[in-house]
Order: sequence, then C-alpha cells, then structure tokens
Amino acid sequence: MTTQPSTVTIRTALVGAVPISAPVFVFGISFGVLASAADVTGWQAALMCLTVFAGSSQFAALSILAAGGSPAAAVFSGALLNLRYLATGAAVRPVLRGGRLRRSLEAQLVVDESFAVAVAASDEGEPPNRVALLVTGVALYVAWVAGSVTGSAVGPVLGDPVDLGLDAAFPALFVALLWTLLRRRSDWVMAAAGGVVALVVAPFTPPGVPLAAAAVAGLVLAGRTGGDDDRGAASTAGDGLPDGGT
Amino acid sequence: MLVTTVALAAITFAYRAAASLLPRIPDPLVRRAQGLAPALLAALVVSELAGREAAADGGKVAAVAVAITLAAVRAPVWGCVAAGAVVAAGLRAAGVG
Repeated sequence: MTTQPSTVTIRTALVGAVPISAPVFVFGISFGVLASAADVTGWQAALMCLTVFAGSSQFAALSILAAGGSPAAAVFSGALLNLRYLATGAAVRPVLRGGRLRRSLEAQLVVDESFAVAVAASDEGEPPNRVALLVTGVALYVAWVAGSVTGSAVGPVLGDPVDLGLDAAFPALFVALLWTLLRRRSDWVMAAAGGVVALVVAPFTPPGVPLAAAAVAGLVLAGRTGGDDDRGAASTAGDGLPDGGT
Repeated sequence: MLVTTVALAAITFAYRAAASLLPRIPDPLVRRAQGLAPALLAALVVSELAGREAAADGGKVAAVAVAITLAAVRAPVWGCVAAGAVVAAGLRAAGVG
C-alpha cells in the first residue's frame, strides 16, 4: 500500500478495514464455538474478547483450561504469547495522543492487523499511521467481540464437539498460525526448538508447562545467536488475529 | 475462566500500555519477545497432540496435516481450522480418527 499518510481519512480507513474485519469476525465465531464446547458461557467468552483482544493467547488459554490445566498455566501461556505487544506498543507510542491514561487506552487498539495496516499506510521510516491504527483497531474489536457472541450462540446448536472435530480445531489453529510466522530461517529454528522441547516435556507435565519450557528454550536460543535479527517492531501480522483475508 | 480472563486482560493491558507509561523499554527485551512466537506456537501444537491430558488420535493429526497443507497454499487461518475440523469429524464418523 502506498497511500499518502495525509490522505488516510476515517472513511478510507473504514473501507480498508472491512476486508480484514470479515475474517476476524469468522475467527471470533470459532472462538465462541470452541468456548461453548469447553462449557464456557457466552458472557465469559465475550468478556475475554472484550478485555484481552488477542486471539492466539485466548485460544491458548482456552485450550489449557479445556484440558484441565490451571488458570495460572492458562494465564502464563497467554502472557508469553502476548509479549509482542510490548514491542508494538512501543512502536505506536509516537502516534498516540494525550496524557498517560489516554495513550494507554489508545494503545489497547493495537492488534497485529491494525498495527500492520497502520505501518503499511505510513511511509518508510515514519511511525505507523494513527488514523489507520485506531479506525482498524476499533473495527476489528467490534468484529472480534461480535464473532464471539455469535459463535457462543451457535455453538450449542451444533452438537457434540468431538463429533464435529472441534477439539481438533485447536492444533489445526495453532499450526496454521505458526505457518504465518515462519518467514526467516530464525523463525524455523525457533519453531523447531520449541517443538522439540515441548515434545520431550509434554507427555509428563500438566498443560502450560511445555509452553513455558519452549519459551525458556527460545530465550536461551535468542541469547546465543545474538538474538535480535531484523524481526523488529515493524514486522507485520504476528500470531494474533489472522491476516487480512489472505 | 473469570480469573484467567481478568489476569490475562490485566497483563495484556500492561503490555500495550507499557511504552506509554514507562520512560523506556529496553530494545533487546522487546525484540527477543517478538522472536519467541514460533517457539510458543510449535509448543502449543505439540501439547495438543502429545500432551499428558491430550488424547492424540488420528483425527487431530489429520487436522494438523490438512491445516499445514492449506496454510502452505495461503488459505486464511480460519479456513485451515475449519478444514481441519471437518476432516477430523469425517474420520471420526467413519470410525477411524
């Protein structure tokens, strides 16, 4: 996208947000459906979407709770997955306005897609586009929550989750998200390291522990290779809500 | 679920707000956090298939295979998930998964 930043109006941003909101809405539906299969109520699922607004961590937490893991394990796993928001929060700080409270609230609209759109709408070397960021963020927020509510309503009507293969949806989801992240060689190495460590640990430990072990392995690995490859804060579409329709 | 939601929400809020609230976040920390994601997701896949509480079965493995295949040809994430679930359901209905 080579939109001139000064011409990103609210309307332009809204139009651009539509094709991204649709898959996010569908993704939200899948969250609501899986949540209902795990005996999570529509209110609980919606509340999580409203307050966390980060897809992969929500699915991870849900999968751990559904497997009988503790809330602590679920929270810890989600917290690991959402670490990237430290980076994206820092990257958008220059375009946030107001005092600390207002900036903190505006920053909550940062998700992988809104961040990616905002970066794409700005010039090289410029900070992400504010209008694109906030408008896309709001649109995705609405789509995510609406999807969850819809999914929770539809879920119970669908029947036995296992017969429907819904429990298989979790590993399918995680592997699909993983695939979108594998761009550089270092990503593959990280995935391999995390997978191997998890494989060794998983059969013997409670839910959540393999994830923590993989995180440690990843941190050690990053430390060894000098860590910082060019996967900086401007990298697009991480493992949160899905890519815009592709 | 509620406890999990509140705690995760608080942490995620803090992550997003950190740069706006604190004077400075060290760059290396930030970049290292970015790079972890593939390791974490790989671990999640493995946990689902080989975890102590998981019942690894043909259905789940097939779902993963289908999802990878579709992801490789750039299908959207939700499409990979739906296809995986459908395949697993089909195998189970056929008494195989």
